[in-house]
Amino acid sequence: MLQNAGYGKMKKAQLKIQQMAFMLIVVTLFFVLVMMFVLVVKFSGLKNTAMGLEEKNAMLLVSKIANSPEFSCGESFGRNKINCVDWDKLMVLKESIGKYEEFWGVSNIEIKKIYPTENSEIICDKYNYPECGITRIMPKDVQGFDVSNFVTLCRKTMSSDGFYDKCEVARIMASYGGEK
Amino acid sequence: MKKKTTNKSGQEEMIGFAVIVIIVAVLILIFIRFSMNSDGKEPVESYEVESFINSLLQYTSDCEDYFSRLSVQQLIIRCYNKDKCTDGKDACRVLEKNIQGIISESWKTGEGNLIKGYSLNITSDETEIFSLKKGNFTNNYKSSLQSLGRDGLKVIFTSYY
Repeated sequence: MLQNAGYGKMKKAQLKIQQMAFMLIVVTLFFVLVMMFVLVVKFSGLKNTAMGLEEKNAMLLVSKIANSPEFSCGESFGRNKINCVDWDKLMVLKESIGKYEEFWGVSNIEIKKIYPTENSEIICDKYNYPECGITRIMPKDVQGFDVSNFVTLCRKTMSSDGFYDKCEVARIMASYGGEK
Repeated sequence: MKKKTTNKSGQEEMIGFAVIVIIVAVLILIFIRFSMNSDGKEPVESYEVESFINSLLQYTSDCEDYFSRLSVQQLIIRCYNKDKCTDGKDACRVLEKNIQGIISESWKTGEGNLIKGYSLNITSDETEIFSLKKGNFTNNYKSSLQSLGRDGLKVIFTSYY
């Protein structure tokens, strides 16, 4: 009888140990799952931050190019304008781009007129300017990725009353990558 | 005596269960907080919209003003004052035509385009001067506000993608 009671107690103790072991495994699994969730969320945040930084750098680069003395309007079209590109200056720069090839650290810079749309698909050269829309600073086809931003494209133009400032909406694109 | 021991064991188990429930609740709260943070707006992405408003305001319109032509920014002020261009055109009509043309070429919407819609509002304090809306207004958007520094004039542009 006493032996039976001892056996019963031992079995109960074993059951308790099993219960505890099971509980420990469940709790550990639960914490591992929670940790995994937290890590996934944290890493997705890091990815977003990295993408944000990349985009900010791209924006800084195109803005830096648009506002550099070689491109910017300065005070030629009234008071200082932000992200304003002097188209007349650009055409002169295009002719002597050899000296600036490595200067901006990009493979190509292109400025495309968006509005008005007349002649917006014609590539500019000294013969058709300003009746054109695409100004390629470096005359080579590149593959890779590009970053772009809106700019104002200004030039001096003539009407029956004389010269006046004409500013249009354009996009500046900077390309990275090797030559095709 | 035996009943008392069984009761005590049951109480202990209940306390253990309650502790686990509390731990789970705290962890769920922490998880929700992390999730809410990752869904925040990305202000860096609005630079394109900011630059667009700048370009739009600097665009030279068809509205003549003696020996020059007015920029969209000057045209907004002229429209607000209900003035006309020197060639007799209505400033508000010229403004509408120019803004519509610029936006439709700059932000192409619809099938196969990343941009789903846009809206532009020009207001003076609480009064609306000009408004333009097109496409679907989704939960993903870039928005920018530019103050013209006169009569509380503001230009707000939002692009939905």
